[in-house]
Amino acid sequence: MNDPVALTEDQRDCLQEVVNVAMGQAGDSLARFLEVFVNLSVPRIRLVSRNELGGELEELVGGAGTNVSGVSQGFYHVDDGSGIRGEAIVVFTDSSFKEMADLLAYDDELNEAGERELLMDIANILNGACLTGIGEQIEKELAFSSPSLLGQHIPIGSLLEHEKLSWGHALLVEITYTLEDRSFTCTMFLLMPGESIEVMKGELDKLLEDF
Amino acid sequence: MSIPLLICDDSAMARKQVKRALPEGWDVDVTMATNGMEGMEAIRSGKGEMVFLDLTMPELDGYGVLDAVKSEGHKSIIIVISADIQPEARERVMGLGALDFIKKPVDNKKLTEVLNKYGLL
Repeated sequence: MNDPVALTEDQRDCLQEVVNVAMGQAGDSLARFLEVFVNLSVPRIRLVSRNELGGELEELVGGAGTNVSGVSQGFYHVDDGSGIRGEAIVVFTDSSFKEMADLLAYDDELNEAGERELLMDIANILNGACLTGIGEQIEKELAFSSPSLLGQHIPIGSLLEHEKLSWGHALLVEITYTLEDRSFTCTMFLLMPGESIEVMKGELDKLLEDF
Repeated sequence: MSIPLLICDDSAMARKQVKRALPEGWDVDVTMATNGMEGMEAIRSGKGEMVFLDLTMPELDGYGVLDAVKSEGHKSIIIVISADIQPEARERVMGLGALDFIKKPVDNKKLTEVLNKYGLL
């Protein structure tokens, strides 16, 4: 393949394992926060074009009719702005809030401001642990900006409407956390634009050289 | 005689990582499996007296393998090697009959320590 952003099978496998280890750390942080066991699933990695992204995301959360709330956090390599960068997006299905209010023993149902606060807290927890975990493995310190709200209770297709998507292709890394016997789904997406994928590929090759 | 050792993980890199972490000179006959279903097939055909087992895998996950090994009555010694660092994940696999739990990424030192702890070397 001549496409500079396409991953080889080895690179995809390597990234999946790097994300798997980071996901384990993030899942543990979420479990401690909610005081419950978190089910992890195999992370999924795909290269998507800008046009495909909306459809991909809809499929991931269970169709276009599913309403979600989401938070986005930019991440970048600390040393220079030209290396690895992207957006880490945390999305909750609507039913997840009731479960969280229950788990965290809130007296009443969460109002919109309460939900927003919870969203920001959990995005910080998950993104922090996951990006730190990925950074440790590729030996690059990843920093991240403060979380910003993408929207509450809206169809996932419109969640990214206002994002400045200045890329043609992006690497979509999907990590899903679920809870047993509870209608809770939290999905984390890492979106990396084209030039950043090329840098990431170089880092993965370095890791692969060790084997 | 070499010990039939099964490495069961969906990631090629993770399998290599485990293989590279094996103590030098340890007389094992290594079989690789890329998911729990393949892992069970190997165990049923006697290739998994010892098993290094991942938890999050497609088809059949590590918990499913531990369940199946128990219900089918295989005597495999199973050490879980997983990125799921929740204390409860460890408790669960130990409850399902795993000998021990090693956090990913695995290296020679960690693996040797655990094998020594149980006198397996």
